Amino acid sequence: MHAQAAAPTLPMTGNPDARALAAGQLARQATGGDLDAFEELVRRMQRRVYGFAYQHLRDLDEAHDLTQEIFVKLYRNLARYDAARPFEPWFWKLAANTTINYRRKRVPMPTDQSADQGATGSESGFPAHDPALIDALAQLDPAYRLPILLHYYADLPLEQVAQSLSLTVPAIKSRLHRARALLRNSLAESEEAGTQ
Amino acid sequence: MTALACARVRVLLEAYVDGDLAQTEPDTARAVRDHLVTCTDCRRQHQQAVSLPFRMKALRSPAPPASLVAGVMSSIAPQSQTSRAAWALLVPEALLGAFILWYVSGLDGLTALASGAWSNLQGLAFWGSGTAPLPSVPVADVLLLGAFIALTAIAAYHLSLLAKLDQIATPRFSEHRGA
Repeated sequence: MHAQAAAPTLPMTGNPDARALAAGQLARQATGGDLDAFEELVRRMQRRVYGFAYQHLRDLDEAHDLTQEIFVKLYRNLARYDAARPFEPWFWKLAANTTINYRRKRVPMPTDQSADQGATGSESGFPAHDPALIDALAQLDPAYRLPILLHYYADLPLEQVAQSLSLTVPAIKSRLHRARALLRNSLAESEEAGTQ
Repeated sequence: MTALACARVRVLLEAYVDGDLAQTEPDTARAVRDHLVTCTDCRRQHQQAVSLPFRMKALRSPAPPASLVAGVMSSIAPQSQTSRAAWALLVPEALLGAFILWYVSGLDGLTALASGAWSNLQGLAFWGSGTAPLPSVPVADVLLLGAFIALTAIAAYHLSLLAKLDQIATPRFSEHRGA
């Protein structure tokens, strides 16, 4: 459906503060009607957002659609962005809400199918380097998968994950602990199954 | 200090790994540590719990498609087309408005229009009850009514376009927030 860019894989790296400063500055300019600034903002954030969408949906086309929807929604909501506050939590809250609504619209959900079939990543058109973890993540309830992806994948600190999902930090911590325990159990089960 | 069962240890492993347990329940954290020394299965789970955050951070994703940015920008671009349509609608609205104003021609015209409309309605009511023939309405009145209906329809469409524009292009009208 769409062409794959040259760079094959993208680890989540970079200083969150430096990223937040740059993104926030561009968002302020875009809020003033500067379309070039908005385009630059999309360019800077596209890898993280697309990666986040892909890890959540495990489908290249769906990830593309969701990423596009997140950025269009960002543009339409820029006027609501309070420039005095950090951009990243506000943006990821919007991204998380868009993701939740996007999932509600989709029937059936590829991740749910892949959870039944074994989402090793190859079905999604992209080879996974940690298929056991990908499988375990695919089986995780979205309520647990979202904070996991925001914290460990999008690299947001706990406070920002909490703001993004409108929860308290202790509630996010508890949810992350529970999610990791579920992943750990799932990984242990798949290891046992592999050794038998 | 009582020894912990495997099931209890496994529930606490993530809080233990993050150091939260040592802060909130230091005795329990010590009990978990002691249990891990003696229990091979729980030690394996502990290793899994320690490595999991690193494995998740190391997850790779495909690069976004090259068309993504262009797709986003074209999704927000149609506003200029909508904007032109919204402004173009001002022309028929102005023409219809001018025609109605010309016909009404001030307060006297408005009064005449109101009394004319009232007598027309009365005539229609009498015709409906069968006590009078169908009243003859002046052609200009029919034209005026048609113009008024057209103006209302165009204005409603215009308002919907402007509302859409407002939704799409709010960033353009909010420069003060970026200051």
